[in-house]
Amino acid sequence: MTQLTIAIAKGRLQSDALDLLKSIGINVSDAGESSRRLSIEDQTGEYRFLFVKPGDVAVYVEHGVADCGIVGRDVLLETNADVLQPLDLPIGRCRMVVAALADAPPNGHGMLKVATKYPGIATRHFGSRGQPVEIIQLSGSVELAPVLGLADCIVDLVETGRTLRENGLAVVEDIFSSTARLIVNRASYQLKAKSMIKLIDKVGSTVREGARADA
Amino acid sequence: MTDPLSGIPSGLRYFFGREARVRRAIEETALAVFEGWSYEEITTPTIDYYSLFEQGMGNEASNSLRFMDADGKLLAVRPDVTSSVARAAVTLLKRRERPLRLWYVAPVFRQHAKSQAEFRRELTQIGCELFGVGGDPAEIEMLLIACEIFDRLGLRNDFIITLNDVEIFNGVAENLELDSAQRAAMRELIDSRNATDLERLLSQFAAVDESRRFAELTQLSGKGEVFDAARQVITNERSRAALDRLELVWETMVSLNLMDRFEVDLGDVSTLDYYTGLNFKIYLKGAGVRIGSGGRYDHLTAKLGAAEPAIGFVIDLDALTDVMIARDGKGNGQAEATTCRVTSNDSLATLQEAIAARARGERVLISTPETKR
Repeated sequence: MTQLTIAIAKGRLQSDALDLLKSIGINVSDAGESSRRLSIEDQTGEYRFLFVKPGDVAVYVEHGVADCGIVGRDVLLETNADVLQPLDLPIGRCRMVVAALADAPPNGHGMLKVATKYPGIATRHFGSRGQPVEIIQLSGSVELAPVLGLADCIVDLVETGRTLRENGLAVVEDIFSSTARLIVNRASYQLKAKSMIKLIDKVGSTVREGARADA
Repeated sequence: MTDPLSGIPSGLRYFFGREARVRRAIEETALAVFEGWSYEEITTPTIDYYSLFEQGMGNEASNSLRFMDADGKLLAVRPDVTSSVARAAVTLLKRRERPLRLWYVAPVFRQHAKSQAEFRRELTQIGCELFGVGGDPAEIEMLLIACEIFDRLGLRNDFIITLNDVEIFNGVAENLELDSAQRAAMRELIDSRNATDLERLLSQFAAVDESRRFAELTQLSGKGEVFDAARQVITNERSRAALDRLELVWETMVSLNLMDRFEVDLGDVSTLDYYTGLNFKIYLKGAGVRIGSGGRYDHLTAKLGAAEPAIGFVIDLDALTDVMIARDGKGNGQAEATTCRVTSNDSLATLQEAIAARARGERVLISTPETKR
């Protein structure tokens, strides 16, 4: 039997991803889930899970250390990871937006200062319309930047919009909506084709059933 | 600042010790296979006109290291070998009898890492090219040679070669009347098997059910059953003709009882700039990225001034070495030769003894007396 290694983004996606896998009969014991071990097997030994930072999921999969992974589309677009992404998953739904102070005067010309954790996405977004920008790369609490005058606006991921509102920011523009994706290493897709197709089919049909139930 | 004498530019490296030995052994295995199929060695210039590589590689050539020649022409450190071999075939070797069979082993260079996992900026390609034979006989010869190399390296059950024909995609794109940007977007989404976004993209210029069917293209990978599934989706003539050609190659592999080494993968469309017909990729257990690739590139000889059929493939020697080293565990990749240790305080006698041992074909190791170190 070929074991598949699945990298899962820790944090906001983790429990949704494990629930989704549980619904197709891939179970991680509660003890395993609550332990601090970063690598555990499911009960059948057919799958091994790695719990890593969201940005690292694509790295593990690209190198083939993990055969596949579950990670947000935002991370894939930011890192330009060279991986296959056969399934869009109905979890981790959020939006990538441009946000600014609600009462800020519009900056119609000149250089725009953008604070963000996603320099690649921000650069491409503004670059595609010829807007010159200065990217200020931060690693968290991005909402503070416009409040303190470090930047004119931010590019960030928004789930409910609560953090934005509480800091006096409003969405100026949607860049894209993001959901989690099942990503697959190129070599594993061919070399472990049987196990991989089984997993993709199972997850895929569960996702489609869910979509029909919602409709 | 990094000290230039102790630092090394990113993506470059040394090989020595066991790695160098394993690497050399792989090279020798491959060349024995090429020679066995009557291929002749060719060495190409390390530096050449950038425009040559642009003809050969399309956009990918822009990732080469470039500089100016004395006459102001743009030069590149070769980013691939095929372009240069093809030029030799249609110029220097124009009058040679066809088919013309050539092989090479040579380092190629890149300006930037290709991706996270393909970080090397210098990599050594082992490859071969066959000129003057069209259709499936040449294609099957290529595939058999590639298989033999991996078989001889003891990797018989560990590699897969995926087969596709770029004309299948080209036919679909032509039929949908896509412009070049849309075509590039579609290609990228098929290549990453992103059915969701592909369906969204196609729904702009095709009926809903048609877009859904084309989105299935991303999943058409497997054995012979793929052909029937593909014919359900693809109806245009250009793609159909390519499917028929590809099936012919597949059927031959089935008849030769080699189908366990091959997969049909219609989602592999990553090298459209390069190939004109059959294209294939080689994957090996233990390597996260493809280890080799090849295909038909008839357009290149035409661009270089003398149209003739051309096909070839390359294997990434460095990636292959990594896999062989990892598999080999603690072995040192070489049988220890009997060594004649020569040591003496009389240096002339030492040298005479060493020369005599070498004449007998023995391996000699001269031990320098401690005091002299």
